[in-house]
This record gives sequence, structure tokens and C-alpha cells, in this order.
Amino acid sequence: MIPIDNFLVLSAILFSLGMYGVLARRNAVLILMSVELMLQAVVINFVAFAVYLNPETFTGIIFAIFVIVIAAAEVGLALAIILRLFRNRQISNVDEADLMKW
Amino acid sequence: MGMDQAWLIPAIPAAAFAILLIFGPYLPRKGDWLAIAAIGASFVLVFPMLADLLDQADGTTYVAGEKAWEWLSFELAGVGETFEIEIGFYVDPITIVMLAVVTLVALMVQVYSIAYMKGDLRYGWYFTAMSLFAASMLTLVLANNLLLLYAGWEAVGFCSFLLIGFWWEKRSAAEAAKKAFITTRIGDVGLLIGIIMLWHEGPNTFNIQEIIHFAEEGGYGNTYLTAAVLFLFMGALGKSGQFPLHVWLPDAMEGPTPVSALIHAATMVVAGVYLVARMLPLFEVADPIALDIVLIVGLTTVMISATMGLAATDIKRVIAYSTLNSLGLMFVALGSSAVAAAMLYLFVHGFFKALLFLGAGSVIHATEEQDMDRLGGLAAKMPITAATFAIGTLAMIGIVPLSGFWAKDEVLVFAEEEQNIIVYLVLLSSLVITGLYMMRLFVRTFLFAPRVQETYAHAHEGGLLITVPLLVLGLLATVGGFVVFDEVGEALGFPGGFAQFVFLHGAHEFKFHLDTAITSTALAGGGAVAGWVLWQDKAALAAHIRDAFAPVSALLANRYYIDEIYQFAIDRIVLVLGGIIAWVDRVVVNDTGVNGSANLGYFAGFEIKFLQTGRIPNYALAIVAGILVLSIVMLVTQV
Repeated sequence: MIPIDNFLVLSAILFSLGMYGVLARRNAVLILMSVELMLQAVVINFVAFAVYLNPETFTGIIFAIFVIVIAAAEVGLALAIILRLFRNRQISNVDEADLMKW
Repeated sequence: MGMDQAWLIPAIPAAAFAILLIFGPYLPRKGDWLAIAAIGASFVLVFPMLADLLDQADGTTYVAGEKAWEWLSFELAGVGETFEIEIGFYVDPITIVMLAVVTLVALMVQVYSIAYMKGDLRYGWYFTAMSLFAASMLTLVLANNLLLLYAGWEAVGFCSFLLIGFWWEKRSAAEAAKKAFITTRIGDVGLLIGIIMLWHEGPNTFNIQEIIHFAEEGGYGNTYLTAAVLFLFMGALGKSGQFPLHVWLPDAMEGPTPVSALIHAATMVVAGVYLVARMLPLFEVADPIALDIVLIVGLTTVMISATMGLAATDIKRVIAYSTLNSLGLMFVALGSSAVAAAMLYLFVHGFFKALLFLGAGSVIHATEEQDMDRLGGLAAKMPITAATFAIGTLAMIGIVPLSGFWAKDEVLVFAEEEQNIIVYLVLLSSLVITGLYMMRLFVRTFLFAPRVQETYAHAHEGGLLITVPLLVLGLLATVGGFVVFDEVGEALGFPGGFAQFVFLHGAHEFKFHLDTAITSTALAGGGAVAGWVLWQDKAALAAHIRDAFAPVSALLANRYYIDEIYQFAIDRIVLVLGGIIAWVDRVVVNDTGVNGSANLGYFAGFEIKFLQTGRIPNYALAIVAGILVLSIVMLVTQV
């Protein structure tokens, strides 16, 4: 059996890549993709712990499915916002969408 | 109809007040007849009360009638006691005497007012306020508990304020109303403190009789009770215009003259006397110093008011000083524990002082002049007013057999027996001064040559509405004193005579000392004759004396500078202190505390809002940084 450390390292790498993307990218679509990467890192964690800690039940795996479903819904919502932003103001750079302030 | 229906006596004028207040302007004659009918009904109702009281009496021991309704009742949290406030009425001989004086004088004054106030801009309002006054005064008199008494007490003060300032377009009247209200308020605060003190340590009730009973059994500590009764006395001091709170009464003469007759002579100002008479058992249980203070205050008032009366030239002010003089005498009597003497004086004083005021009102009505230096010789034109005024004057001076003589004599007998010789001598000397200034008032107004022909020329006697009340009060002022004789008292229905009737503690008789009577009559009569001689004709002799003692006459004419001292104290102490407090309020509380904290919030919000850039990467960075910080904190604390 592959040791759990390998999964955790993979998850940490994926999460860090996603976080870097969220912080460094300016394009809204790419930020969205980075957020997805972070979510997948979490899913890997869930599944790995589910198998290693409590193989008899499916709690962790079901949680992973929940996360995937919610991520899909979230992507739908976020893409709709990005689409409206682009339609109305012809921008996809989040730096330019800064009207929600004082 | 008996004592249980005593509530009707104040309720009828109160109902009249309510009707007049709402419908007054639409009633024929502005509703004056309603006010008079109401007070007349109250007057008539006094007699069934008296009859019932006498019916239930066992010999000369009277069973007071008391009836009370619960008004407010609630559990005191944590104490387990019930706090109750009642509306209750208590009828005993003192109450009956007060009721008789108040309703009779009020009736006479209101009848008189029809003529006196005729054509006034606020004729209807005058009778409305008078009805409210009657209702409040009768509530005060009948109250069985201190809280209801206090409510009536404040209400009469308010009516006094309304009626002194009745002609408020005149600045001096508005000022006088304010002065009267504030000055009496100072005393009222003391009264309220006294009531709360008696309740706090007492039997958890405001009922006067229960409190007296509790005190007589030694329920209160001696010092505590003394302090409480002195606070009560402070209320009496303000209401009855005793030194040093007497300053409002002379100024209160700015009101219509019938108001002065009713409120500032016969009824409201004697409320203080009534209060002390009612609570006298407490004063007797307390330290003797309490009664000594009552006595000294009364004596001081007698002397300063009598001397100030010598210098005043406004006829109403002179009568106001004579009222202070009489009230002082009543307090001297109370200070000697002579309830019967004080109540007798109160009884007859109500008649002869109202008579004097109504007489003065008749003069003012006829001449529109109230400065006696511009009057004179009016007896020829106004014989009835002059004759009744003479009766009032002589009764005030205390000449046999007018009512004032008997009452004053009774006070003197008590002062002679109970107090030391100085008190007695001071009282005797005050009689001379009373004789002087009352005779001066009469001589300068009614006799010898008129000083201003124009005023004299159109003076005339008023109609029946003015002369009939004068004659009724004149009659009462003449014969009112005869109640001291046991035979007269019994014939009137008081078993054992008036003194027996009024006195609270068992048997009591009027004492008549021939030597005291002769001394006092000689002194008072001497004063009166001297007054006649001094102020006759052109008052040359009086002017000569006045010039010879210029500093003294200036002191008297300026009322001992007491008003100036108060004004100085208000300007330099009260207003400066008020200014400091206002500054603290404005700068510290308002600018720093209230506006300061609001400004701080506004300023902080203005600065902090720039943290919100609206850029998503900034927020993302903040989230990440926050998580990192939290993680580090967790790591550090867990290791």
C-alpha cells in the first residue's frame, strides 16, 4: 500500500499551486481554475484519509463527492458572473473590476 | 349623607372645573354660574358632615370619619411587602373648621368676582381656575394620607401660580407668579422629603393617623423624627409665607384682588398652619427644638411683617403684610402646642382678612388706584365698603368684641403661660405696630381730604354683588369670635364649645385672662389711636417722624433688603454655579462625551474604509495571510 504521506505531499503541492494561481493571476477564468485546483487537493485529502483511517465506512468518500458537486455549482455561478462582467464592461482582468468598495 | 360621602365636597368643584375647561367658552355667561353653584353645593355639604360627626360622637370624644379607596398596589420586589397608595378622606373637627372657612370664603369671593372680573378678557378662565383651586384645596384639607395631601398641596400652588399671573401680559404679574411658584417650591421639596422620611422608617403607609400612632408609640428615632418634622415644617414655611420664605406673598398681590382674598389670605396660605396643626402630635413627640423653631419662625415673621407694613403704600401690600403677621401669630400658637388657638385664629382670620381684601378690591374697582398716597376720603363715597373695612381693620387690630380679639387673646394667653417672658413681650409690642399700620391703612384710604381729586370724583360704591359679600363677611368678622364661649359653641352644635370641639387631646377650655385682655387691648388700641393721630389729615406728624428716622424708614420701605439679598444670592451664587454646571455639561458631557465618541467613530470609519480596495487579489492575499497567521499561532501554542 502506498504510504499516506505521498498523498498528503501531492495534495499539499496541488493546494500550493492553486493558491499561487489565485494570488498571482489576474485573469478571472484562470483564478477560477486555480480555485478548482485547491478544491481537488482537498478532495484528495478526504479520500486518502477515508481509506487509511476508516476503510469500513464511506463517509470521507461521500464528502469528496459533495465537494465535487458543490465545486461544479460554484463554477457555474462564477462563470456566469465572469460572463456578465465581460459582456457589460469588456474586461476579464480582476484588477479592473474594483467598484465594490467605499 | 354622612362622612362617607365627604369625597363629594372636592369632587363637585373638580367636576365643575372639568366641564368649564372643555365647554366653558360655549356656556352662557362663560359658565360662572356653574363654578358658583359647585362651590355653593360644597358649602352646603359641610353641614351633613358636621351633623354626622356630632351624631357619632360619644360625648365630646369624636369618632373621625375615614373612607379610603385603593389607588395603586404592588409587591415590592425582594422585600415581600406590598406598597399601597390610597385615595382617602378623613373628617374630624379640624377638617370641618377648614372646610367651613374654605367653602364659605370661596363662595363669597366667587360671587364678588362676578362684578369684579366683569368684562375681563379671560372671565371664563378665571372661574375655571377658581374651581380647580377649590377642588385642590378641599382635597388637601380632606386627605387622609400624606401623598394625597401633597398632591392637593402642589395643585393649590399651581392654581396660585395661574391666578397670580392671571394678567400675565403685565410683566410684573408674570414675574410675581414665577417668584411665588419657585419660592413655595423650595418649601415643597422639604415637605416631600419629610413625607418620604416618615414613610421610609414608618409603618409602610402614608396614612396620617397611622403615622401619628406609630410615632406616639416611639416607632421613630428621636433625632430622625425631629429631622422629618422639620422638613414638613419647611413645606409649611413656604406655603404660609413665613420668614425666610415670606418674600413671595407681597408680590403675589399682582393677581386679581378676589384671588388675593381667597388664596393669599383665607385658604391656601393657611394650608401650612393646617399641616402643622394636623401633624402636631409628631412635633410634640419629637425633640422640643422642633416646636421652638416653629415658635421662633412665627415670632420673627410677626415682627418683620408688622414693621414692613408700616412702610408700604400699596393698600393690597399692607394687607398682605397683615396676613403674614396673622400667620406668624398662628405659628406662635402652634409652637406653644395650642391647636385650638391656632385653629380659632385661622377660622376668624379667614373672614376678616377676606373682608379686608374684598374691601380693598372694592376701592380698586371704584378708583382703579391702589396707592394709598393717591386715595383718601373715600368713606363719603363708599360708606358700605368703608364701614366693613373698618370692621376688618379693628378685627385685625384686635378690639373687643370683634372676632380677631378673641383669637389673638387666646394666642397671647398661651404665649404667656407656656413660653418665656420675651416671647410674650415681643407679641405685645407687635400688637402696637399692628394697630399703627392697620389704622394708617384705614385712615389714609377712607378718611380726610382726598389727595387726588380726579380719582375721588368718579369713585362710587359697587353693586350688590360687591356689597353683599362684604356685608356677610363683615357680619362673620364681627361675631365669629363668639364661638369661644361654650354657650355659643353649644348653641351652634359643638358640644362643650369650640375649643373642646377642635382640640385633639381630650378636654380643653378657652382661657380668658382679664389682665392679658386688658393689656393687649390697651396696647392694640393705643397703637390704633397713635396711628390715627400720626396719619390724620396730611400725615404731617408721620412724615416728620419718617424724616427723623430716615435710615430706619428706608430699611422698612426696602423690606429689610431681603429681596435684594436673595437677588444677590441668586445672581452671584446660583447663577454662577449654574453657569459652571452648564459649562461642564456643554464641554465635558456634550462636546467630549456624546459628540466626541460619535466623532471618533466617524473619523475612524473614514480612515479605515480605505482598506476596502475592491480588488479581489487583495482580499485573497488577506485571507491567505490570515490563515497563515492563525496556523502559526496554533503551532506556537500547541507545542
